[in-house]
Amino acid sequence: MTTTNTGTTASTPTDVPVGVQPGQGPASGQKTSAITNHALEAKAIAKSYVIGGQSRPVLDGIDFHVDPGECVFLAGPSGSGKTTLLSILGLLLTSDSGQLLLKGRRVDRLTEVERTLVRRERIGFVFQRFQLINGLTAEDNVSIPLTMDGMPLREARDRAGALLCRMGLEDHRKALPTSMSPGQCQRVALARAVINEPELILADEPTAALDGKSGQAVMELLHQLTKEFASSTVVVTHDPRIYQYADRICEMENGKFK
Amino acid sequence: MRWNLAYRTLFHDRGKLIAGLVGVIFSVVLVNIQGGLFFGLVNKASMLVDRSNADIWIGHRGMHNVDFAHPIPERYRYTVAGVEGVAEVQPLKLQFVNMALPGGKYQQVLLVGVAESTNLGRAYSIVDGPQDAINRNDAIILDRCDDDKLDSPQVGELREVNGRRVRVAGKSNGILNFLVTPYVFANYDDAIEIGGSNPDETSYLLVRLAPNADCQRVCRDIRTLLPELDVMTSDQYASLSINHWITRTGLGLSFGAATLLGLLVGLVMVGQTLYAMVLDRVGEYATLRAIGLGERELLSILAFQSALVASIGIAIGMVITIILKTLLSSPKATIEIPLMLYVGCGVLIFAICLFAAGLPYLRVRRIDPHTALQS
Ligand SMILES: Nc1ncnc2c1ncn2[C@@H]1O[C@H](COP(=O)(O)OP(=O)(O)O)[C@@H](O)[C@H]1O
Ligand SMILES: [Mg+2]
Repeated sequence: MTTTNTGTTASTPTDVPVGVQPGQGPASGQKTSAITNHALEAKAIAKSYVIGGQSRPVLDGIDFHVDPGECVFLAGPSGSGKTTLLSILGLLLTSDSGQLLLKGRRVDRLTEVERTLVRRERIGFVFQRFQLINGLTAEDNVSIPLTMDGMPLREARDRAGALLCRMGLEDHRKALPTSMSPGQCQRVALARAVINEPELILADEPTAALDGKSGQAVMELLHQLTKEFASSTVVVTHDPRIYQYADRICEMENGKFK
Repeated sequence: MRWNLAYRTLFHDRGKLIAGLVGVIFSVVLVNIQGGLFFGLVNKASMLVDRSNADIWIGHRGMHNVDFAHPIPERYRYTVAGVEGVAEVQPLKLQFVNMALPGGKYQQVLLVGVAESTNLGRAYSIVDGPQDAINRNDAIILDRCDDDKLDSPQVGELREVNGRRVRVAGKSNGILNFLVTPYVFANYDDAIEIGGSNPDETSYLLVRLAPNADCQRVCRDIRTLLPELDVMTSDQYASLSINHWITRTGLGLSFGAATLLGLLVGLVMVGQTLYAMVLDRVGEYATLRAIGLGERELLSILAFQSALVASIGIAIGMVITIILKTLLSSPKATIEIPLMLYVGCGVLIFAICLFAAGLPYLRVRRIDPHTALQS
């Protein structure tokens, strides 16, 4: 795959995070670029890791996009660079080169503080191992994104509790993560990812630590909620049982799409 | 929410929390008790001065410690009495003598001769026997704290001091010096006789000022009249006596080093626990960073946690200190904790706890939010 679009770099406006009010629709207050109407677009992303003094390319000029409301799966063998790509899309990692556009605005040149704000306000994460805070109840875990945006804890808990009820966890609102099953934990983690109604949801092997049934349940919920909030979703997985939920599947191999 | 998060995670891990608290409590108690013992001990070096009821002490040139006196002419008291602002002058005689113990052994004591019909130099207060015990014939006053050394003398018992028979007429409680030599109070004339010393010489002249007299000016006037003597206010002589022991014995250094070491051990404990607490949660912090918690916000959580550990630990430590002090402090081993020590120790430990939170901060700063995805 060769690098393209480098000519547009100068003309693309750089995005600075705009405070998205909690509760507002994901697209509110955002200007939609004339250049593209992709929710997320990555152009010529390259990344290499230095391993043992040698630079090894992990991503080799990836072009990728997600449309609003679309659910894209990233599949491929282990070590093909799926997690690395997802980290770059989620502003957790910076690419060595290439461009990243969120709603048509550049986000790959932001400072760490700005990137943190974009993650907080516009992206929801679901992790393979749930990554809940062990000292907090399910309700408080789900409240974190709301309260980070300044919502009072009481109000945030009410909203979190309501969402957990929708996910069939009304009896576990006050439960600690250690007292819940993996499937329940992942549903709590999912609630935490979507509570802010982010425009982009990134999930890294969300069903890998779950049995088939809970995996299906989690994917069913993810599907429902993203359709409801019109969020775009990128799911990394190599679990064929859940391919039915994908609008599109991109297969990766050795840092490239097949 | 941040505070909710901070204290929930803190209290979630009870074991670590208790370890951290124990470190803080240990530091607080150790520093306060150690410091209190130190102040209690060194204050003994000036007890005779502190309780002498005198405003000014006059002694030999170069006097530096109340227990080690050199003779000065007793007749100077008339010169001092003539100085304006002086209400009363009395001599005080200090002399090391031997007391025979019932078993045939001897104990060196410091005989203090106090003038009759005055309270100048009367540093003791009677707890056993008549209040005017010292005015009886051949009477001595001993301290309860020296019972062990003097073979438990009873009031009314006869003893032999420097070969003379004297009677234990009364006992005080808690008048001790820095040495191991017990104080024995006697009537001034008896003391001269028992000691067999020259009645023309005395050890100190103690001055009580007239009301409204200017202490510094009186001191200056006496110095002009008696340039071969040293003239000091009681406070000056008290601190000089204390400093003598602190510097001569290296006590300040060794006590200070021990206290510092205790403080260090406690704080290493605190630092280590706080650090371990953060290390345990690095994964959670990475997650929080990934979902949008700022670096500064994370730092404020850590600072809040260590401030909480510090405050709770200091409060409990102070309570334990006060209990220990009440239980353990005795005239022999006095624990004197000045307010300054409480406050200073609290502030210092609080500051160092915050500093200890900075240690894990270095670790947290390096948390790559990317690691959240890579577990
Ligand atoms: N932090 C890192 N340092 C060095 N190499 C890494 C790092 N993260 C990932 N890699 C390497 O990059 C490659 C792709 O990793 P990853 O994106 O996790 O693949 P996948 O998620 O598809 O299994 C792997 O070969 C992995 O060893
Ligand atoms: Mg992976």
